[in-house]
Amino acid sequence: MFSVINSEWYKLRKSKVLFLLLIAPLIGLFIGIANSSIEIEGINAWHGKLVMMNFTYAILFLPLISGVLASVICRYEHQEGGWKQLLALPVTRGKVFLSKYLLLILLMLVMQLMYLVSIYLVGMIEGITDPFPMDIVWKSIFGGWVATLPLIALQLWVSIAFKSFAAPFAINVIFTLPTILVINSERFGPYYPWGQPFLMMNIGGSTEDVFFVPWDQILMVVGGSFLLFFIGGYLYFLKKAI
Amino acid sequence: MEYIVETKHLTKSFGKEKAVSNLEMKIPKGEIYGFLGPNGAGKTTTIRMLLGLMRPTSGSVQLFGKDMKNNRIEILKNVGSLVENPSYYPHLTAKENLEASRKILNVPKKRIDEVLQQVRLHGVANKKVKGYSLGMKQRLGIAAAMLHQPELLILDEPTNGLDPSGIIEMRQLIQSLPKEYGMTVLISSHLLSEIDQMATRVGVVSKGKMIFQDSIETMRKFAQASIQVKVNDNEAAWRSLLANGQKADLGEESVTLQAEDDEQVAASIRYLVQQGFSIYRVQEEKRSLENIFLEMTKEEQAG
Ligand SMILES: Nc1ncnc2c1ncn2[C@@H]1O[C@H](COP(=O)(O)OP(=O)(O)OP(=O)(O)O)[C@@H](O)[C@H]1O
Ligand SMILES: [Mg+2]
Repeated sequence: MFSVINSEWYKLRKSKVLFLLLIAPLIGLFIGIANSSIEIEGINAWHGKLVMMNFTYAILFLPLISGVLASVICRYEHQEGGWKQLLALPVTRGKVFLSKYLLLILLMLVMQLMYLVSIYLVGMIEGITDPFPMDIVWKSIFGGWVATLPLIALQLWVSIAFKSFAAPFAINVIFTLPTILVINSERFGPYYPWGQPFLMMNIGGSTEDVFFVPWDQILMVVGGSFLLFFIGGYLYFLKKAI
Repeated sequence: MEYIVETKHLTKSFGKEKAVSNLEMKIPKGEIYGFLGPNGAGKTTTIRMLLGLMRPTSGSVQLFGKDMKNNRIEILKNVGSLVENPSYYPHLTAKENLEASRKILNVPKKRIDEVLQQVRLHGVANKKVKGYSLGMKQRLGIAAAMLHQPELLILDEPTNGLDPSGIIEMRQLIQSLPKEYGMTVLISSHLLSEIDQMATRVGVVSKGKMIFQDSIETMRKFAQASIQVKVNDNEAAWRSLLANGQKADLGEESVTLQAEDDEQVAASIRYLVQQGFSIYRVQEEKRSLENIFLEMTKEEQAG
């Protein structure tokens, strides 16, 4: 198993697309610096920054970048018969699927951590003196990551199914764009998988729970869509004729 | 006999069309098996099933005496393959391409240089493969197939895109494999001439069916020259030859002698003259292996 991940990492590393991971945290950084937040007496100054930065990052960039990475990790297999070469080696298809998935979610975790660094940098540059709200930020960073897990599973599935680079990207955009509208809806917001990264990262939620979103919503929407997308993609790959 | 490859009733349908039909392939250990057939005969489809890339519609595949269905990983540890066009990662160099496979195969790093040397790519090993010529990509594919010194090497049209000297090199390389490493090789082609000089066994497939499978010697026997004699009364001449214990076939306009050497031809002709037949013509007809192959596949297509 480790050797398969290692090989995947090797191929991805050499494809020089890892700079993509920097884009979203950098944009977050610029947004954070460009907009001066209104200071309200009694509220931690970090919060204003977080709300602003999280909006574009979680709604747009998190799902888009993960989608592009999922396409890239399948693209070099699609290009010149890579699938048949890879799958004629002594590996199970299950391991190949799992390796690609694990690598993707690890990279997204790295991106989340870089975003954390961005948040901190913004505060330093702006000279925020309030204490860094570590617990809230962790909730946001880690919660956002958890909410992306089902999306990555679907993106991997779609990327395996389509040879072209454009098709998975288009599908991803189609589901990502309505997020801005859907999250404002009390009724549909909590059930839309593409809205979950934002909801999980949004620091406005209840602070008693482990995450900013109630457990039953995490289990049902994030967990449910994860199972659906992961098992769907996994079975699709096992059956696919190469 | 112990077979390295054995398929039973192997069948693959795409919709209504049977790309492979009841194929019984048998390859004994240490042979170089030439898998021949015209375009669309079902060679690649068969090979895909041998490697477990595609599920058979019915029938089974056994490699090394083990069923592919339940022992895929174990089997593939000992199989190297090149299916259809060479596969590669264009963004990597030849070395890096092999390294990506090596990590999964778990073989020592020095194997990479060894196989690159064997296919003569060591000079360009650090160039990105997307800039390679077709022949160079083909060589890389063969190198990748040999990386883990497999017991069975499956090469689908490996000479595709190679120049004449490349074909000769490849032939020498493949011929050396059974001798030096005890490998068994399956090599597909649509040209008999290409594998004629290295194959020890041949399987001819046409429209998904195996229409000939035997040693290359047996196939060559078909290719021996035959002597045709045109006589005033062909049928009477044929009967009298048979009565005298000489082998012959009756054709429409001539009698064909199944003579094994010149002396036998001379004896048959002398006998016919002595019997009072008028001999109009004696001619030799040579059938090349390629012709035989063509006839075999043609008959199948007509029928
Ligand atoms: N994935 C597929 N879907 C539908 N039909 C297919 C598929 N793959 C192969 N076929 C059909 O199966 C038949 C056999 O094809 P195959 O590629 O095995 O032939 P081949 O002997 O390798 O030919 P060639 O010498 O051209 O490589 C063809 O008629 C082809 O159209
Ligand atoms: Mg073919």
